[in-house]
Amino acid sequence: MEKLYVNEIRPTGEVSTIGLFYSRGEAEDIVAQLRSLPEKADCRYEIVEAATGSPSTNPPKMRESGRA
Amino acid sequence: MRGTTPRREQGMADPVLAEMVHALGLKEAPHYAAIKPTIQAYRRRWVELAPYRDGPVPAERTPTVDAAATTKLIKEKAMELGANMVGVCRLQPHMIDLGEDVAHEFVIACCVAEDYEKVMQGADAVEEEAMRTYVRCTEIANELAAHIRSLGYPARAHHNGGSEVQAIPIFYQVGFGELGRHGSLIHEKYGASFRPGFVTTDLPLVEDKPHEFGVQDFCMNCNVCQLNCPGDAIPKEYVVTHGIKRWLIDLEKCYPYSRLRDQYCHLCVDVCPYNVKSHPETYKAFMKERKQVGYKTPKS
Repeated sequence: MEKLYVNEIRPTGEVSTIGLFYSRGEAEDIVAQLRSLPEKADCRYEIVEAATGSPSTNPPKMRESGRA
Repeated sequence: MRGTTPRREQGMADPVLAEMVHALGLKEAPHYAAIKPTIQAYRRRWVELAPYRDGPVPAERTPTVDAAATTKLIKEKAMELGANMVGVCRLQPHMIDLGEDVAHEFVIACCVAEDYEKVMQGADAVEEEAMRTYVRCTEIANELAAHIRSLGYPARAHHNGGSEVQAIPIFYQVGFGELGRHGSLIHEKYGASFRPGFVTTDLPLVEDKPHEFGVQDFCMNCNVCQLNCPGDAIPKEYVVTHGIKRWLIDLEKCYPYSRLRDQYCHLCVDVCPYNVKSHPETYKAFMKERKQVGYKTPKS
């Protein structure tokens, strides 16, 4: 499954992550909605690939056990 | 005021869950298909209460003394109704769902603490307690909104029966605590073991202030939730939103343990060391159980 961050870049250069999205269509829809807001007119948006996930920290046998 | 924060749909309306469920050749997520009658009853209750979130406002307003006195009275009323903590802040666009319009000036957060002792009874007991608490929050928010309307001011409840507001930014702004690595807000006394209801209103109130007590720094070095997550869904890396660190949970890794099997999970919150303050003995006993099955526990 694709994992994408939507970042909002404000006129000051400050970057604020809107969220993690799981398809380009979903991310683009969010950006379109934000761009339609007058108060966000000065903001830019970028859709960037999220890291593919941190390496597993639990041995697989533990992960299989779930809530013990 | 128009909202700016996207809300992820719940249940099968969430496209991530829907895709994972359909990939398994199923029509419904196993967790929802296996819901016990008691939990079904709780869910029905907040659906029944949904039509009473808002209502007519009398034309005549009860005169209010001053905003500080009114705020004190409203907080007392919320506590009398059963809330364990109440906070107030001015409603801001990032506290409202993207695409929604909420025309109120203030938001009141009313939270009810869960019985943390349930962790010793297993996942079903924890989930049942969560649902029971959600119902209490729904009732409290509805009743508080009705009370404010009876004073002649518009007020709408937001809860599991229907909401246009975002819990985490409101919790932070009213001073309930800070966002933790597990994605829930951590309160100094209750940890993340509480559930919310909200009321938005134009009743003039006095704002509370954020209360930071080192959670985000603590979470940077703790990692207990991450190391206890059966799906490895809690990332090491964080992003920043409105200047606040957020560890965005990977739903594709979380759902196999929280939606795609009968029992819910909730472990990330249950193992959080901030539970130790309110329930020291239970927390230690629970983490001893976790250690026995091979998971990491806090050093202290």
